[in-house]
Amino acid sequence: MDMKRDYYEDIELFSSGTVLFWSVAFLVFLFTLPLYIPSYNIYLFNIIMVHVILAVGLNILVGYTGQISLGHAGFFAIGAYGTALLMIHLHLPFLMALIIAGLISAFFGFIIGLPALRLEGPYLAIATLGFGLTIMHIIGHWDIFGGRMGISTPPLDLGLQNSPYSFVIEGDVKIYYLILVITVLMVVCARNLMRTRVGRAFVAIRDDDIAAEVMGVNLTIFKTMSFALSAFYAGVAGGLYGFVVSFFDPFTFNLILSIVFLVMVVVGGLGSILGAVMGATLITYLQFDLLKNVEELPYMGEILVQFSRKWLTVIGLANFGSVALGLIMLGIVIFEPLGMFGIWIRMKKYWKTWPF
Amino acid sequence: MKKVMFCMGIICVVFLMVTPASAARPGFDKKEIRIGQWGPQTGPAAPWGSVARGSGLLFNVVNEQGGIHGRKIKYFIRDDQYNPAQTVAVVKELVEREGVFAFVGGVGGACGKAVMDYLGKNKIIWVGPSAAITDFVFPPKPYIFAVYPLYEDEGSILTKFVVEKLKAKKIGFFYQNDAYGKDGLEGGRKRLATYQMNFVEEIPVEPGEKDLTSQMLKFKNAGAEVVLMFVNPTVATIALKTCATIDYKPQWVSSDTLSDYGLMFKITGGLWEGVITGAFGMTPTADHPLLNMYREAAKKYAPEERWGTFYLAGIVFADPLVEALKRVGPKLSTEACLKQLNSLKDHQTIGPKVTWTPQIHQGTDSIQVQKCGPNAEYILLQDWTSNDLATWKKQPAKKK
Repeated sequence: MDMKRDYYEDIELFSSGTVLFWSVAFLVFLFTLPLYIPSYNIYLFNIIMVHVILAVGLNILVGYTGQISLGHAGFFAIGAYGTALLMIHLHLPFLMALIIAGLISAFFGFIIGLPALRLEGPYLAIATLGFGLTIMHIIGHWDIFGGRMGISTPPLDLGLQNSPYSFVIEGDVKIYYLILVITVLMVVCARNLMRTRVGRAFVAIRDDDIAAEVMGVNLTIFKTMSFALSAFYAGVAGGLYGFVVSFFDPFTFNLILSIVFLVMVVVGGLGSILGAVMGATLITYLQFDLLKNVEELPYMGEILVQFSRKWLTVIGLANFGSVALGLIMLGIVIFEPLGMFGIWIRMKKYWKTWPF
Repeated sequence: MKKVMFCMGIICVVFLMVTPASAARPGFDKKEIRIGQWGPQTGPAAPWGSVARGSGLLFNVVNEQGGIHGRKIKYFIRDDQYNPAQTVAVVKELVEREGVFAFVGGVGGACGKAVMDYLGKNKIIWVGPSAAITDFVFPPKPYIFAVYPLYEDEGSILTKFVVEKLKAKKIGFFYQNDAYGKDGLEGGRKRLATYQMNFVEEIPVEPGEKDLTSQMLKFKNAGAEVVLMFVNPTVATIALKTCATIDYKPQWVSSDTLSDYGLMFKITGGLWEGVITGAFGMTPTADHPLLNMYREAAKKYAPEERWGTFYLAGIVFADPLVEALKRVGPKLSTEACLKQLNSLKDHQTIGPKVTWTPQIHQGTDSIQVQKCGPNAEYILLQDWTSNDLATWKKQPAKKK
């Protein structure tokens, strides 16, 4: 199996030629995807990629550093509003606005990271939860943010607006390529980061923060850095999300969204980049497609809907989506604590050692 | 690695250059006309989802009568869970995969705004958005036709009712702190100004507020006999329950968003009895030939459905489109349908009279005034009333 002879082998980006080959093949597949699937599905892929960026970022915080956040919808909102408003009011090019919005979000992440130095577990969860809700209400209050009626995003301009250098991107397919490039970059960055001193410091804090500090990891720096990084990812994801959907209001970024983000990371597998990617993909697909069409499932559909009508609702309507999400999460925590990533590892092991 | 990135770059650039144009289907053929609607069928906003199913009843009835000039209506309901991101997803699917001709209804201001531009670009007609958002129709959008009365008009009509019929001298106004509440307040203020009166108390509320004791005490101390409210169901419920504990019983008058008496009666534990509301459709229990026919049809097509305001609203919002399609005749096209919609005048079935012109796409300014009875039944207090102070009818260009 995987025999490692020295440290650098252990931290290689691609652990073998096979992995490199399949990674490249997968990327080529992604880049040619719009050729195989109809355009209305591209929109779903855009949403999935946005969630992938966010889940990878959240995983840096939750999975690698062992801190919890129930306020990531807040960072997501800062990114979305920041990008759109910077483009509307300051006429910045899209990428610049996106990065600045990400940095603003990171700054807020840093601020939230400060109380996290003293808070742990449920207390940290409540503090971050408060942050997420506060952001939602502050945005709703101020007219500069479009108030509670929300704002529409301007045209997605990669160049300078209203000038000969303007380069407007329109349509789901073009946005798909833009997001794909950014997603690949950010996922590779996250993976690289975890192979560095910083990444190892995060893991050390997760395993035991006192032991980490004794070994020379500066908790103040690394904990806040983890929050800021995670918030940066959420901010960038939010900025992209705004342009995918083209309209959003404060209520879009509610508490449930924060929880769904957390579900993505837990279901995918804590402390694994691949896990976050898988979790975000699965949960988004479930939410946007499968769980809504439960009724159309063969055999099962009718029974599930009847069950839900009878036991799981106050108003007599099918209400299966959130219950199913909750059940999936419970099942994962009880039976497969490593999440989808754990399943993936077991499958790999099985095939590698086959027929034993 | 560099080579890989380079190749990616090239592929990426190539694709940015050549993107396949989506070829939308015309939305109808010789046998059917495809019509879609989004609406929350699951999740917390699901009670409003009955709007979409109500439109379905109307289309069933139309199909039963032989369709429209030989074409049956094929109707698609998609669940968006009241989430704009999901609305965009389902609308794109309906437009690009199913090829729909038009949308009707569609619950949720944010959901509608998320797809408004997309529908316009794809030249899809959208009749009867079920939210009174001024952006939908001011300035007029060529493909959007609104039926839902504006909150400002409703605020004005309800205030007139309170002053003239209830003879109230001290009136309070309780409103949600956003466009919905503020538009209602604006209408109320303009109306009161004509009587040289003012609200004794105007109190805004945030949609998520849970403790309303101080607000209710203010109304009580100001001695308001009638309180108008433009709020959401949760806030209304808390307000009524709070007033019960501080022994304050004003006459509540609410906007039509809370006109589902069955639901409100249930969640307020019976306190909704006696509340007066505006209404965008006639009372579900009214004896009207068309309504009786729909009621019979509902027994057949949707026996489990609760026969309530929002279900009927689905019929009200979709009805003008059916009428326009009938008038177009066998030679159907989007342009022909637009022409008929733009010349619809005083068309009335079980909702208000609807009139559209190429300059004004807000179809009506009329509401009914109804009251909740002891068993959540509907009592009609005032038939269709239009707002004589409505400004948009005179100067459509000036209104934002």
